[in-house]
Amino acid sequence: MALLNLEFEFESENTQTINPEWFHMGVTGSGDMEVMFIKKDLGGKVEAKVCTPVVGFDAVWKSMLNKFVNDTGVGNIVIEINDDNATPIVVYMRLRQALAEATAKEEK
Amino acid sequence: MKSWNELEKSSFFDANARERAVGMCDKGTFTELLNPLDRFESPHLPVLGTAVEFDDGTVTGVGLVGKHPLFVVSMEGKFIGGAIGEVNGAKMVNTLRLALKAANDIKAAHPDEYDVRRPIVAISFETGGVRLHEANAGLLAHAEVMDAIQDCRRILPIVAVVGSKVGCFGGMGFVAAATDVIVMNEQGRIGLTGPEVIEQEMGKDEFDASNKALVYRTTGAKHKYIIQDCNYLVEDVIGDFHKTLAEIADIPMDKIEEMRRIGSLKLVQEQQDLVKLVGEMQPKDSMDLWKYYGNEDPAALPEMTTEEFLKVVKRRVRA
Repeated sequence: MALLNLEFEFESENTQTINPEWFHMGVTGSGDMEVMFIKKDLGGKVEAKVCTPVVGFDAVWKSMLNKFVNDTGVGNIVIEINDDNATPIVVYMRLRQALAEATAKEEK
Repeated sequence: MKSWNELEKSSFFDANARERAVGMCDKGTFTELLNPLDRFESPHLPVLGTAVEFDDGTVTGVGLVGKHPLFVVSMEGKFIGGAIGEVNGAKMVNTLRLALKAANDIKAAHPDEYDVRRPIVAISFETGGVRLHEANAGLLAHAEVMDAIQDCRRILPIVAVVGSKVGCFGGMGFVAAATDVIVMNEQGRIGLTGPEVIEQEMGKDEFDASNKALVYRTTGAKHKYIIQDCNYLVEDVIGDFHKTLAEIADIPMDKIEEMRRIGSLKLVQEQQDLVKLVGEMQPKDSMDLWKYYGNEDPAALPEMTTEEFLKVVKRRVRA
């Protein structure tokens, strides 16, 4: 019944990080999630924390987050996710969307 | 998130809570208080296995409109229908208390300039009322918010801003009614019992919640504007809400007091007159009332754009 808290750690060769010290995007709506990126010196690693009501998808979370880290080459960040039944493809899309916004040049 | 310039031209209805909060303030002035990084989540939801949100579904903060500090509460309808629990309720109450403290501090520091520096509060409602997962704490929050609104009365204006998908229903309908000024766009809806709940309890003959036109005629902004439950009807553009708030910030407090719906014997009598009228004429539809107040062709009103509507509409005359 209680919420599930998952923690992962990924090795990363690259160290593409985000522009601000932290960045937040999204809403924990039904079938959706919110994500927060926090800059942190982890020697290139990526830490991920997921809070979700869905039980039994630990391996799917791990492979989806791993794919995100490998595809984008991020490093030295903490990823925190509040999930409410988002499907894997929604998770991937939201992560890419958030990273695109967090690395975009600020317009004046 | 969109830049402020883009937000000013964007739809208020489509915007999320944070975009609305930023867009209602002057450019670059909004500072969020208790932002997602503070992780002020509800402690009750994890126990029940319900997903949590870093800001508990409500964005709070402060910005400026001209010289006036604008305190903002903005609710996110996508997170548990924008329902109010212990944490986001407390965020709301304390934003109001902070605004009152700011008003007192400004009065002390600039006694001659209070009118031009007077704070203002904007609450962007998108909620169905109490969050049933934490019902007692949620109900208490409603009472505390109303208390805080009353404390600010005649000192600074509290503005209800309604124009999002969920509308403003349940206990928060009472709270919106207790504010000084109500600003809505055409899509905005205010009510107590939501359409689905009326249908569920009283049957489809009483109220057909699938009839969108009927729902909007009964709870929507145009009806509220005609019967004077809504003070300003604006286009669905965040920039228009921003401009309207800037306008309200400059209105003297005795004029603000006249915009209220509840809170004095005179207003109670005004409401009772309305109840008496409805009892006598037994309207079958909101349009009967629109006709009574002098709109010759009430059926044409829902089809009009906000601009056309504002040109021709006849409203209830307040005593």
